[in-house]
Amino acid sequence: MVSEDGKPQEPNASPYSPAKTCGKCHDYDTISQGWHFNADSVAVPPGRPGEPWILTDPATHTQIPLSYRGWAGTFKPSDLGISDFEFVTNFARHLPGGGPGEPDRIKPTDPQMGRMLITGKMEIDCLICHQTSGRYDHEARFNALQGQNIRWTPTIAAGLGVFASFKSAGSIADSWSPGRPVPSVLPAIKYNRARFDTENNVLFQVARRAPVNNCYYCHTSASALGDAQWHEDGDVHLKAGLLCVDCHRNGLDHAVVRGYEGEVKDRPINDSMVLQRTLLIRRDNTAISEEDARKLARQQLQSEAGQVETLTCRGCHTSGRLGSPALVHKGLPPIHLEKLACTACHSGPFPQAEPQVVHTSLAHKLGLPAPERGKNTAPVILEPVFLRGADGKIAPYKMVWPSYWARLNGTHLTPMLPAEAAKTMTLPQPSSDDAARDPYNTKPLTDRQIQQALESFPAEPAKGDPVFIAAGKIYRVEKGVLHSSEDPAAKPYAWALAHDVRPATQALGARGCAECHASDAPMYFATVAARGPVQATNGVRKEMWDMRGDDKTVASFFAFTFHFRPLLKVLVFAAALVVLGVLLLYGLRGLGAITAPASSTGKERP
Amino acid sequence: MNRAARRLSYALLCAAGLVMAATGLGTLALGKPPMTHWVLMAHVALAPFFALGLAAVALTWSGACRGGADSPVSGPAQAMLWVVLLCGLVVMLSGVLPMTPLFGAHGQHVLYLTHRYSAIVLTAAVLLHLPLLARRRAIT
Repeated sequence: MVSEDGKPQEPNASPYSPAKTCGKCHDYDTISQGWHFNADSVAVPPGRPGEPWILTDPATHTQIPLSYRGWAGTFKPSDLGISDFEFVTNFARHLPGGGPGEPDRIKPTDPQMGRMLITGKMEIDCLICHQTSGRYDHEARFNALQGQNIRWTPTIAAGLGVFASFKSAGSIADSWSPGRPVPSVLPAIKYNRARFDTENNVLFQVARRAPVNNCYYCHTSASALGDAQWHEDGDVHLKAGLLCVDCHRNGLDHAVVRGYEGEVKDRPINDSMVLQRTLLIRRDNTAISEEDARKLARQQLQSEAGQVETLTCRGCHTSGRLGSPALVHKGLPPIHLEKLACTACHSGPFPQAEPQVVHTSLAHKLGLPAPERGKNTAPVILEPVFLRGADGKIAPYKMVWPSYWARLNGTHLTPMLPAEAAKTMTLPQPSSDDAARDPYNTKPLTDRQIQQALESFPAEPAKGDPVFIAAGKIYRVEKGVLHSSEDPAAKPYAWALAHDVRPATQALGARGCAECHASDAPMYFATVAARGPVQATNGVRKEMWDMRGDDKTVASFFAFTFHFRPLLKVLVFAAALVVLGVLLLYGLRGLGAITAPASSTGKERP
Repeated sequence: MNRAARRLSYALLCAAGLVMAATGLGTLALGKPPMTHWVLMAHVALAPFFALGLAAVALTWSGACRGGADSPVSGPAQAMLWVVLLCGLVVMLSGVLPMTPLFGAHGQHVLYLTHRYSAIVLTAAVLLHLPLLARRRAIT
């Protein structure tokens, strides 16, 4: 175990460095290209839209989807004036490190990023995924991060030691002026000597294949809330004994297979990967020229990329990898496999008349101490919402509606961050009783309260008029009257869901066509009510067919025709029976005619 | 069977078959298979009429096409009727069997292709059969 300066770890000193310790054997630069760490890299294609980080502030009723990847419907942190440092301090609780937490260079005079000279960079904490001891302490990590003790968190979370005397690196940074020398007295770690052997080595209990619970710390989706959790069956693959990483696997580059069809085009083979492979090829074959090795490396990487498609649902269940059962789909016309993603029938909670509220680790800080979260705890995310993906197939999605105060100048909307909004506007403060009962401030705003808040913003014609975005609508005050209307800026952000996978017997449609083709089937006719900090009746409400731009008449009439489906089958089978009878009758007669002369001839010859 | 019944049954088969060929084979010809939405519904809505028409043709025409020398239908027309009936049967069964929980993905795909290609043969057979019938009008 070594520190950031590469020296063997002292028992009472600075925190250990995962980059230097794990990086001794595992190339850290290659690992840092992985999906978990490369969001802020402009060279990486964004891939299929995934779960955003949601900047949530109950006091100002703000919930803004953020992503460095530039997915449509999200904001890049820099677009809102959020520095990488602020982003890290907001979301490091569920960030494994790297990316925005580990800038290449820190400008000492930058009042935000300069703080990292004191708080440290957020190196990739390998143990957050790879430890198997069960002793990784996320709560201790969170507490350390609250004090902006960023580079101390891997040590504290791994239980290797405690703060010798707790000092917040954040408070030291507060009293430091950008550009000045970095204070030399920083928090020290008092290591747990029992974890060290006589040669100062520490045994890390790690596994290449990350255990399921390590993935779940950041990737939990809970739609059975509160005490109903015990009803959840979990994912059928995990029940069968698989790990997440059996499908979502990766090499040293940590480009974890996301598992959607067409993913291979989002996994470019970059120069760094080719270089890495070239080195390996030349190590094993000293006679090969560098140019030939590069060509071979690219070929190998392209061939391996093709394997990614065999790790999708369809790929695995058609190739039989890992002993996966072959696709059967008895009674399902093949068109369904062209029009629907596998997840439409097999994933997520069974669809009902309305999508359900789901809590996710990233959005609701699951796994960390907090008052119990309820159905109205912001950000309210709904699932499953059946939308059509970029490939034209219907699939289930999670959906969240942005909510924020903003300035509208012409058509340009500039969101206000919670701190800025809270500075100027007037919102009713909950009573202490309400705050105790409703710690997440979930009481919806009335139209009157929204109007008062909008009118409390100072007039700044250069910046535009104050507006409020919530539940699919934009609210503005014109001539003293509050107006609200559906607006593209208030459109929900949706990302595909794939888990938990239900077994085939519980797939949508396993009990008959009417599960999707009935006049009240959720796939078409469930009501999706936009959720946000406004009264339920004020939000945009649409049925599922409308959410994806389908034709209601077609959907309704098609569902209606299924009433006659049994009659159709009876009629066609009866007609087929008649035709078959006639064919058999005359076919047999024909055979009789052919064989009759021979028989009669036989009779004539005694 | 009387002549009116024969004509009526064949007319029913042709009328329903025309719409079904237009929707099914038309979609294929336009390069947009499989059928969806209104086209699919029109196709399926006409299916019972086609099935009834084919059954009626089988009942009313088979006697006249059994191969006897006294038949008012020409030999080629008689032969073609049996091709129509056989293809029609395959088309019907390959259309309705996917609606039962008997066949999996592969079986469904085979049925789908069987439906498509038997329908092409059926359409061709009917188109050949009609002029053969018209040539010999002495159907009693």
